[in-house]
Amino acid sequence: MGNKKNIPSWQFLFLALPGIVYLIVNNYIPMLGIFLAFKDFNFSKGIFGSAWCGFDNFKFLFKTSDAILMTRNTILYNLAFIVLGTILAIFVAILMSELGASLKLKFFQSSLLLPNLLSWVVIAYICFAFLNSESGFINKTINRWLQIESVSWYTEKQAWPGILIFVFLWKNAGYTSIVYLASISGIDKSVYEAADIDGASKLRQIFSITLPLLKPTVIIMTLMAVGRIFFSDFGLFYQVPMDSGALYSVTQTIDTYVYRGLMKLNDVGMSAAAGLFQSVVGFVVVMLANGIVRKTDSDNALF
Amino acid sequence: MTYLNLRLTIILRRIDMKKIMGLQCKFFAAAFLSAILCLYVSGCSRTGNTSSAKGKGYDTVVFALMSFNNIPGDVTKVEEAVNKLTEPKIGVDIKLKLYGPANYAQQVSLAMTGGEQLDIFHSLGDFSQIISKGQAHDITDIVDTCAPDAKKVLGEKFIKTGYKDGKLYGLPAYKSYVLQPQFIYRKDIADKLGLDMAGIKNMYDLTPILEKVKAAYPQMNPFAPIEQGNTQIPYSDVDYLTDDMRSPKGVLIGDNTNVENFYNTEEFKKSCVLMREWNQKGLISKDAASSTSIAVELVSGGKAFGFMGSYGYPPDDTAVEISHQTGVEMKSILIGDAPVMATDTVSAITWVISSGSRHPESALKLLNLMYSDPDVLNTILYGIEGEDYVKNTDGTVKYPDGQDASTVPYTAQLSCGILGNQFIQYIMTGTNPESLKIEKEWNENAKISKAFGFMFDNSSVKTEYSSVNNVINQYLPGLRCGSIDPSKGIQEFNKKLEDAGLDKIISEKQKQLDAWLAVNK
Repeated sequence: MGNKKNIPSWQFLFLALPGIVYLIVNNYIPMLGIFLAFKDFNFSKGIFGSAWCGFDNFKFLFKTSDAILMTRNTILYNLAFIVLGTILAIFVAILMSELGASLKLKFFQSSLLLPNLLSWVVIAYICFAFLNSESGFINKTINRWLQIESVSWYTEKQAWPGILIFVFLWKNAGYTSIVYLASISGIDKSVYEAADIDGASKLRQIFSITLPLLKPTVIIMTLMAVGRIFFSDFGLFYQVPMDSGALYSVTQTIDTYVYRGLMKLNDVGMSAAAGLFQSVVGFVVVMLANGIVRKTDSDNALF
Repeated sequence: MTYLNLRLTIILRRIDMKKIMGLQCKFFAAAFLSAILCLYVSGCSRTGNTSSAKGKGYDTVVFALMSFNNIPGDVTKVEEAVNKLTEPKIGVDIKLKLYGPANYAQQVSLAMTGGEQLDIFHSLGDFSQIISKGQAHDITDIVDTCAPDAKKVLGEKFIKTGYKDGKLYGLPAYKSYVLQPQFIYRKDIADKLGLDMAGIKNMYDLTPILEKVKAAYPQMNPFAPIEQGNTQIPYSDVDYLTDDMRSPKGVLIGDNTNVENFYNTEEFKKSCVLMREWNQKGLISKDAASSTSIAVELVSGGKAFGFMGSYGYPPDDTAVEISHQTGVEMKSILIGDAPVMATDTVSAITWVISSGSRHPESALKLLNLMYSDPDVLNTILYGIEGEDYVKNTDGTVKYPDGQDASTVPYTAQLSCGILGNQFIQYIMTGTNPESLKIEKEWNENAKISKAFGFMFDNSSVKTEYSSVNNVINQYLPGLRCGSIDPSKGIQEFNKKLEDAGLDKIISEKQKQLDAWLAVNK
């Protein structure tokens, strides 16, 4: 950066101004809402006049037999998404990078991206077209061919961890693979040429060149995802199983629990408390994860 | 009452932590904080502007109204027409805010939190929460001077539901209160199969009828839930004690004053067994508990024969209304006994003066006119004569030729009254004028619950409420649609409710009810 020393570096900060303004408006001003989590909000007394109520608003997250269940579901699903999502995205990115800049690449990339542009409601109905117990594709066609009896999918809880993970990967793999594809195309081509001359096979090149050079990107992406480990994709867990009660033990996450519990109470304080709790835990987890990365491999730590 | 079928969306605030960490420079952090504080403080103080109309010196009252039709873009013409009527009478100007049913409650809450002017709004079955959250202005002292007509129209009996601890917080809409359980079915199929519909007295009599339909139309699941997971099984003689009917948490049964767990009663168990039988026989869809296809769609698509619903108008009117929606000729019959009149039968739609209102007296005067002045009420509901509606010689009204509810410039017309006094509202052409008499009779003759006037305040058991709501969401749709086997399911359900703290809610309810009964014997 520094070949023109006469420009003071603070001037470069102006470049960041739009981004900073965005952060203030979108992320910092709403943060004042945090203190609502500790208030018993009353409209006639207003935001500042309402009584403080300590941690009362947080109780509903823990004082339930489902507390362990929803925390377990949220964390395990997110872990599965992080691990499988990363592996699949890298796999797709490597395959696509081998296609070169051809028309085929454009075609595959677009078709892999398409699911990401659909909303969860639309995806829920695509799934419904497959899983509907009376007229769904799986029961009507596949199971009939295989002479298997119809399955009532929306009450069959064993199947849902698989279905949810599959749907998540189908929707997101194409999108995340773009990030990895970008890093792969940034790798110096001469390294591969040298490997070719030394007689390294394609597979050898992938394991010895591509993957090690992708490591920083993987770490950043994973750290980002880990920060949201206490948040779940509400649409995936609420819309796709069609809010079916029989599936709650495998589809209940913190977000759906909060929604279902407060939908009728409409309580500002309790929903603020839930958001704050998720954020604080996410913050702690990111700090821990980053700390571990810094200890073992300080070049790749986020900060 | 479709307008109660709302999902009040909670706004979950999400704070993106990963972005916060990009910030390390203390100087910038401090600069941001002061900038935020400036923005926030200026945002809060902005609301203090005067609301009186320009130059005329009248108070302007902001009126939040719900409309099931298109939300009109420009309401100034209607506002002016109303002002012409209200200025000489009470010296008040109106400002209308129209919202659709899906976001009414949310918009009202948002406006109130943000300090926007909003003077009159109505509850949607959550009147008790509006009081406990401090959203309602106490109108005990001004009701006699500002709303004498409304008080007279409602009478001692119905106005009672607006009271909490001796203070009046709202005026219930004067409408057909008693929602009669009805079975609405396809006339053509019933005629063709020669089904004896008149002989049906309760849900249990429906089984042989539905079986005949299933035999003749095997591809059908004859009975459809009215909405996702809700088969609307009628339970007579149950007072839900101001809980949402779809997830009651402690009820009174018969003339008893002991608060009971509804899910442990024989009547509930019996109904679940019936639904399980229907589910096993294919009389109701196996996916009924989770399918989002509602009854009207299933019937018009030829996939169902009929459904249960509770309506505030006589069966013939219901049939006409539903026929419009399905495009198939429907008939309707009353099923079971009329439900008891409980507090929320009346208070479900209660008009409230906002606690943030700066002119509560003017607002109440305006609200009063909704109960007594047909011109004001009907201008707000139907708009301007000749443009938005035309009057027939017999006094009924219709849309101008070639227009309907979606093309006229303004309409907030409602087929069921939720604004002010339904009985002075113009009647649309095609509705039977005699129906109003029947509805008034229903209001007068309904059996009244012992706890009529009691309102439960759940603020001390909110934690338990949210856990119990989750358990109910998990089990109730499945039990009511027969996809859960009641022989094991009900016991499991009750065990979970107990874990979630239902007992605590029930004993709190009993405590409040006993205290109420001691005063209001």
